Amino acid sequence: MRAGIINLNTGNLLSIVSAVKKAGFETVVIDKPQADFDVLLLPGQGRFGFVAAQLDKYNWREFILNWIAQDKRFIGICVGMQLMFESSVEDTDAKGLGVFSGQIQKLKHAKTPMVGWAKLNSENELFKDDYVYFVNSYAIASSKYCIASVNYAGDFCAAVQKGKLYGFQFHPEKSGLYGRELLKQCLN
Amino acid sequence: MSQLNTWLNTSLVPRIIACLDVANGRVVKGTNYKQLLDMGEPIELALKYEQQGADEIVFLDIKASVDKQQSALEMVRKVAMNLSIPFTVGGGIKQLSDVDKFFNAGADKVTLNTAAVETPDLIDQIAKKYGSQSLIIAIDVNREKSGKLAIYTHGGSISVKKSYQQWLDEVVDRGAGEILMTAMHKDGTGTGFDLELLAQEDFSLPIIASGGANEPKDFLDAINAGADAVLAAGIFHRGEYSVTEIKQYLINNNIDMRMKK
Repeated sequence: MRAGIINLNTGNLLSIVSAVKKAGFETVVIDKPQADFDVLLLPGQGRFGFVAAQLDKYNWREFILNWIAQDKRFIGICVGMQLMFESSVEDTDAKGLGVFSGQIQKLKHAKTPMVGWAKLNSENELFKDDYVYFVNSYAIASSKYCIASVNYAGDFCAAVQKGKLYGFQFHPEKSGLYGRELLKQCLN
Repeated sequence: MSQLNTWLNTSLVPRIIACLDVANGRVVKGTNYKQLLDMGEPIELALKYEQQGADEIVFLDIKASVDKQQSALEMVRKVAMNLSIPFTVGGGIKQLSDVDKFFNAGADKVTLNTAAVETPDLIDQIAKKYGSQSLIIAIDVNREKSGKLAIYTHGGSISVKKSYQQWLDEVVDRGAGEILMTAMHKDGTGTGFDLELLAQEDFSLPIIASGGANEPKDFLDAINAGADAVLAAGIFHRGEYSVTEIKQYLINNNIDMRMKK
């Protein structure tokens, strides 16, 4: 099984690459669209607008939308998850992929970014009551496809799923052995 | 009590952080920053604490110098490939290009002390380039014989002119993401954290309490006094308590902790 990790030059990919390798995948970091993979991952750090601009700069937008339309497996992490929605209050002019509807909001807590471990509130056995690691100032408040949520001066959606499409606001690659197991389950 | 404010309306839980003081590629522990004892291999120890349930690892290269930077970067790269929890590195950072090297090697956060005091603008630069969440400012504070709080740099050897309060406000203002507060008068003494220091104000960013952990109750007291995270070294390295045992004690005392389901 082969996994492609999309490199948008927004941060270090060493941890996510190692985590996907350890899940048993042949893992390749890709700078431009390439289709010979079983799963694509979109990690992302930094501003919504910047990451969205990088998607266009390296011609990823249409490719990803086609990939998803063909019902192929896709995982967005952190800002990579946020980009699956329509827009964000962080950069209102920037366009997300719009695979899910909704606008990313700023967290309402006095201490932002939210940094640390939180227990997932979920009805899904895989996610229920496990702790994962968050580093974010923005999130989607709710979604029809939300499968796990946490509270940070208001509930937000920690994970979304629609078929083979996953979005994680937290960092599974930094969420201990549970995070590694979760990633493995969602990759397969 | 800041404890109430800290843990209200959030799913976040207090963190237990294992600190590895590294010198010449080995983990060491000193008392009041002097007399170093060899404690073992950095990566081996980090993986052990990860297994025990540590929420984060901090590596401090306390004898960092330019010629040793390459080996430090090599260690960071290995850690990034093997650890499944976040980790912070510090020591020997003087300018933004040093920080770039650590992040390129896979570090999640960096921590500064001396460099921040000597070049406060470095705080702004790092926060702007990598975001506040990537930056921990370490403050070594000592309660002087006069009773006043003084700030120290260079591993606790040089006293700084700025007052504690002035410096604290400045680092928050410049964009620090977290404060690693070490009470030097408590460090390595095993007499508990400085609770008065932790409880004296409502900090606007996460506070990591450091220096003085001797028994499980010290962790509980620090969290109850308002610490968002507690960092310890010797108590773990000497094998007196495992991270698991500390966490279990805290859970038994009604503090939520990340534990396996």
